Amino acid sequence: MAKIKGSIVVNVEKCKGCEVCMVSCPTGTIAMAKEVNGKGYYYAYPANPEMCIGCASCAMVCPDGVITVYKTKI
Amino acid sequence: MEKELRLMKGNEAVAEAAIRAGVDGYFGYPITPQSEILEYLMEANPAESTGMVVLQAESEVAAINMVYGGAACGKKVMTSSSSPGISLKQEGISYIAGAELPCLIVNVVRGGPGLGTIQPAQSDYFQSVKGGGHGDYHLIVLAPASVQEMADFVDLGFELAFKYRNPVLMLSDGAIGQMMEKVYLGPQKERLKVFADWATTGKPDTRDRNIITSLDLDPNGQEIFNHKLQEKYNVIRENEVRFEEFQTGDAEYLFVAYGTSARVCQKSVQLAREQGIKVGLLRPITLFPFPTKRINELTGQIKGILSVEMSAGQMIEDVLLAVNGKIPVRHFGRLGGIVTTPEEVVENLKTNIIGG
Repeated sequence: MAKIKGSIVVNVEKCKGCEVCMVSCPTGTIAMAKEVNGKGYYYAYPANPEMCIGCASCAMVCPDGVITVYKTKI
Repeated sequence: MEKELRLMKGNEAVAEAAIRAGVDGYFGYPITPQSEILEYLMEANPAESTGMVVLQAESEVAAINMVYGGAACGKKVMTSSSSPGISLKQEGISYIAGAELPCLIVNVVRGGPGLGTIQPAQSDYFQSVKGGGHGDYHLIVLAPASVQEMADFVDLGFELAFKYRNPVLMLSDGAIGQMMEKVYLGPQKERLKVFADWATTGKPDTRDRNIITSLDLDPNGQEIFNHKLQEKYNVIRENEVRFEEFQTGDAEYLFVAYGTSARVCQKSVQLAREQGIKVGLLRPITLFPFPTKRINELTGQIKGILSVEMSAGQMIEDVLLAVNGKIPVRHFGRLGGIVTTPEEVVENLKTNIIGG
């Protein structure tokens, strides 16, 4: 079976820093940034991008549809 | 027309509900965590659909005075902000209360004092309920606990504001404002076509000119006016108390909590009951007028009350007045933008009320 490598893109300005994605990530890919966005929220970002398996759990739980997930077979 | 089901943020729900309620004007200024109200309205551009004016003022002070002007013309007008912005609006709010004008003010509360944080808090209770601005006045204060209520209270807010010619404050917080939930939205209402007889819409031959002011240089006249205001507040206290009870029927202990804290406490009631503690929840929906009478009635069956709010203890003063020394009342809450967890509340009930 082909292995799947994933990658996420966070719409930083729409993120409200609720941390739900961080908790839902099974591989610890996501962390909260040390900087804030335009509204003042500590936004989510892929701290360990190499860990992403493209499961899209984060995108599914994100209340604001902030995260886009890309998957490639390798 | 059927109600429409949407998934929205609390802030977006207020904005959409305002368009559908036939509001004439919204005047605001951005501040986290309420900026989505202004952003949603700007994007929706209701000027082209309903004719509603949406304007980003140069400051919060300008915004509230635009509301004052719009309200004086008998229009349905509103503004919104978060805690520091509401502090800036206080002078205008006092003037609007003094001029007896209807309007809706939305406060999506964040942690204070000062600039504080942008996370949810409930530390603006005193400001909302006890005054905030100068003079002997009260706002009618509605405290939503869901996105649905944030939408519903726009209509209810204007209904009460026009009924009593009094500003209405919707006291939400950064959690409900930012939370996504399903919400049923009502049908589109038309904007007002006929204006109240006190509105400054131009003098016809049939009546004297209307004057809107909060100034009376004669102290005797001002005293009479103040008594009239107090009579109005008493009528509001008598007729407009709203609250919700959750499992109070057989309760031996009681949580009193509003807004986000009430939602936390609903879970705490379940957790405590699993441990055999009979506890109920009373959620004030109107904070002014406060459900004093009902809380006092409950002291007959309740052994102790935990007042839960995300503040250092503000609403507890009204709970204490309602209880009038009959049973112990304690406060619990996290501060500065931290939301209390249901487990913490149960632990505190055990140590401070049952154990203490």
